[in-house]
Amino acid sequence: MLFSSAAFLYSFLPLTMAVYFIMSRRLKNAALLLMSLIFYAWGEPRYAILMLLSITQGYIFARLIGKSRGTKKAKAYLIISLVLSLGMLGVFKYANFFVKSFAAVFSLNAAALNIALPIGISFYTFQLISYVIDVYRADVEPQRDYVAFAAYISMFPQLIAGPIVRYSDIEAELTARTYGADKAAYGAKRFIIGLGKKVLIANVLAELVNAFKASGEKSTLFYWIYAAAYMLHVYFDFSGYSDMAIGLGSIFGFTFPENFNYPYIAASITEFWRRWHMSLSSWFRDYVYIPLGGSRVKKPRALMNIAIVWMLTGLWHGADWNFVMWGIMFAVLLIAEKLVLLGFMQKHRAIGHAYTLLVVMLCFIMFDASSVGEGFAAIAALFSRGSAANTEALYYLKSYAVPLTVAAFGATPLPKRIKAWLDSTRAGGAVMTVAEPVALAALLCLCTAYLIDGSFNPFLYFRF
Amino acid sequence: MRTKLKSILTVALAAAIIFGFAIWGTLKKDDAQSLSERRALATLPKISISSVLSGKFMSEYEQYKLDQFPLRDAFRTLKAVNTYYVFSQRDNNGIYIVDGIASKMDYPLNGASIERAAKRFGYVYDTYLKPNGIKAYLSLVPDKNYFMADANGYLGIDYDKLKDMLTADMAYAEYIDIFGTLSIEDYYKTDLHWRQERVLDTAKALAEGMGAEIAGDYTAKKADADFYGIYYAQSALPLKSDALYYMEGGSIADYRVYDYESGKYVGVYDMDALNGRDPYEMFLHGSKSVLTIENPNSKSGRSLIMLRDSFASSIAPLLAEGFDRVTLVDIRYIAPELLGRIVDFTQYTDALFLYGTGVINNSETIK
Repeated sequence: MLFSSAAFLYSFLPLTMAVYFIMSRRLKNAALLLMSLIFYAWGEPRYAILMLLSITQGYIFARLIGKSRGTKKAKAYLIISLVLSLGMLGVFKYANFFVKSFAAVFSLNAAALNIALPIGISFYTFQLISYVIDVYRADVEPQRDYVAFAAYISMFPQLIAGPIVRYSDIEAELTARTYGADKAAYGAKRFIIGLGKKVLIANVLAELVNAFKASGEKSTLFYWIYAAAYMLHVYFDFSGYSDMAIGLGSIFGFTFPENFNYPYIAASITEFWRRWHMSLSSWFRDYVYIPLGGSRVKKPRALMNIAIVWMLTGLWHGADWNFVMWGIMFAVLLIAEKLVLLGFMQKHRAIGHAYTLLVVMLCFIMFDASSVGEGFAAIAALFSRGSAANTEALYYLKSYAVPLTVAAFGATPLPKRIKAWLDSTRAGGAVMTVAEPVALAALLCLCTAYLIDGSFNPFLYFRF
Repeated sequence: MRTKLKSILTVALAAAIIFGFAIWGTLKKDDAQSLSERRALATLPKISISSVLSGKFMSEYEQYKLDQFPLRDAFRTLKAVNTYYVFSQRDNNGIYIVDGIASKMDYPLNGASIERAAKRFGYVYDTYLKPNGIKAYLSLVPDKNYFMADANGYLGIDYDKLKDMLTADMAYAEYIDIFGTLSIEDYYKTDLHWRQERVLDTAKALAEGMGAEIAGDYTAKKADADFYGIYYAQSALPLKSDALYYMEGGSIADYRVYDYESGKYVGVYDMDALNGRDPYEMFLHGSKSVLTIENPNSKSGRSLIMLRDSFASSIAPLLAEGFDRVTLVDIRYIAPELLGRIVDFTQYTDALFLYGTGVINNSETIK
C-alpha cells in the first residue's frame, strides 16, 4: 500500500490509529504488528509469510546468540542467520540478475527465473542483519518478546522504503513510549510535508521525466532538463517517503533516525553521502566498511574497501549492471576526493557545490538508465553538439519552470530558515501559530486532490 | 503556550480531515457514474480468499476509494486550478485552454499508428471495396490542435506529414482536402468535435470531391440542453457550456436510419441523448458500429459507404443528401473481418474513409 494513496490515507491510517490508540499499552505492539502485516499483505499477500519467516529466524538466532555469547556457538548462530538473511535476499532479489549475467558472459540460453521481488525486502533484511550482528557484538540485548520484535521489523511506517531503523534506535521505545500533542503534531507535520514532497513535487517531475522518455526528438536542452528533473525527482520522492515514515513513527510514539539532510547543498561527494540516505550509508559503514578495516589499513586496501562498499551499495539499489556502475562511479569519485580533490573542494566551496551537483546529476542518469550503455549515451548526449533545443524541450521547460524552481528551492535549507526566522519574531510567531496548522491542512487537501485526479503514483524506492 | 496551541490545532485539523473524509466516504451512498467523466464509477469490490490472494481486491478497492471519494469533482478542480494557476503549467493531463477553448495535446506523431490504420483500411479496401469496383476516397478531419497548438506555443503534430504518410499507404483512395474549409470556430469549445451547423461547407467540399451534389437547404435549431463536452470533464475547470445546434430541412426529415445493432429503424437525431452522458451522441445515436441512412428523395443512383469515426455522426446527415444510401461503418466497434456478414458491398458505388487525425495518430482503437 502506498502512503500516497486514498486507500492508505482515508481507510488504513484512520483505522490503524483508532485500533492503536484504543488498545492498552500492553497490547499496542500487537496492534502495530497486526496492522503492519495487513499493510504489507495489502501489496504482497504471499510475501507476508516470507517476511514472518525472516523475522522468526532473526528472533530465534538472536536469542541463541544471546545465550551463548563468547562461545563458538554464537559465531555459528550468527553465520547461519546471516546466510539465511542474505540467501533470502540473494534468491529473491539477485537470482534473476546473476543467472542473466552468467548466461550473457558464457553465451548460454538460460531461461529467465522471473522471481518477483518482495516489496521492502532490502530494508527489512538489513534491519534483521544489523540486529543479529548487534546482539552478537553485545551492543544490544536480544528481544525476548516476539511480538515486540516482529513489530519492530515489520513496522509499517518504515517497512518498505526506510529509513533503515536499527534496533538500538528504538529499543527503549519498543517497551515504553510516550505520546502527546506535541509529538503527534510533529508527526502530522512531517507526514504532510513528506506527502507534499512526494505528490506535488516528485510525481509532477516524474511526468516531465516520462515526457522526456517518450519523446522522439531529444535535444541537448531536453537532456539537461531531464537530468535536472530526475535528480530533483529522486530526492523529493525518497526524502518525502522518509519524512512520511518519520512522521508516522512519531505519531505512534517512535523516534526514527533522519535519512536526508539537504544533500544537494553538499560541496563534495564525501559530504553528499553524509547527507543522502544516511541510514544506509551508516549501515554500510558500520557493518561492511569498518569490519573490512575501513581506512585504518594500508592505502591500497583502504581504497579497495571503498570500492567494495560502493559496489555493494550500487547492488543494494538494484539488481542490474547500471546500479553496479552507479556504485562504481561514486567509488571512483570518493577515492579521487580522498586522494586529491577533497582539500581543494574544502577551500573552494563554490566550485565544490557546482562539481557535486554536476556529478551527482550524471550519476543519477546512470541510476535511471535501463543499461550501462544507455546511461553513458545519455550522459554523452548532455555534451553533444546535436540539436541544441527544440520546440518540445522549450515547451516542457516553460510548463515545468515553476515546479522545477519550487523543487530547487525546496531542496535547500532556505524554506526552513525562513520559517525559523518567522517563528522567532513576535508577530511572525503569533501568525504562525494559526497559519502553520492551516497551511498543513491545506497541503493535505491539495495532496488529496492530486491523488484523486491522477493515477500515476508509484514509489520509486519500493523496488529496493 | 503558543507551541501547545499550534500542536493542538495541527493535530485537530489533520485528524478532522483524515477521519472526517474517512467517515464521510464510508457513510456516503456510492455514485453509479460520473456525469462529468461519462463513465461508470467503481463499486465496492467483493472480498474473497482468491481475490485477496491475487491482489485483485486490493487494486479494485483502491480504485473504488478514488472513484467514490467525497467531493471528488471539487478535488479534481482544486488540482486543475493548482496546476494552471499556481504551478503555471501549460496543460493539465494534456488539456490546455486558450480563450475559453479547451483542447487536448496529441503529440508526438505516431508513425506506427498511422501505418496500422493504413493497414486496416487496406484490408477493407482489398476485401470489400476493390472486388466490388467501389471508388475509394480519403479525407482527414483536423483536430483542434491544428488551429490552436502552434499559434499558442503548444505541441502539435506535423499534419502534412501525417497526411503524406497515410496517403502514401492508401494510393487506392483519392484524397479530399477539407482542412481549408474549417476554422477553430467550427468546433465546440468544450469538446473535440465539430459543430454540425458550421460544417455545411465541409460537407459540400466532401460531396464535390466525390462528384456528388448537396443543396444545403438547412436551418439550425438549438437543442434544449447545455453541452459540456469531453474536455470540460477532463479539464476539471469551470468552463462555459457550448450551445448545441442541429440541422433541419432538406431531406433530413425523410431519412430512414437503420441501426444494424438493434435491427430497428431509428431517428436521425436522438433527443434522449441530450440529457444523457454525452449530448453529442444525439447525432446518429453516437457509438454505433453500422448504420444506414436511406434517402428516399435522392435520384443520384449512388450509394456511399463511410468508414468513419465520431466526426461523421454529425456530417453524414448533411452528406446523405447527395446519395440514395449512406452506410456508416465504425471499425472501432466492429472488426473489419465481420463486415461482409452485415453489409452487402455490391450495393455501393463509393466509399469514403473519413477520420479525425486523432484516431489516425492513436489507431489502437481500430479493430
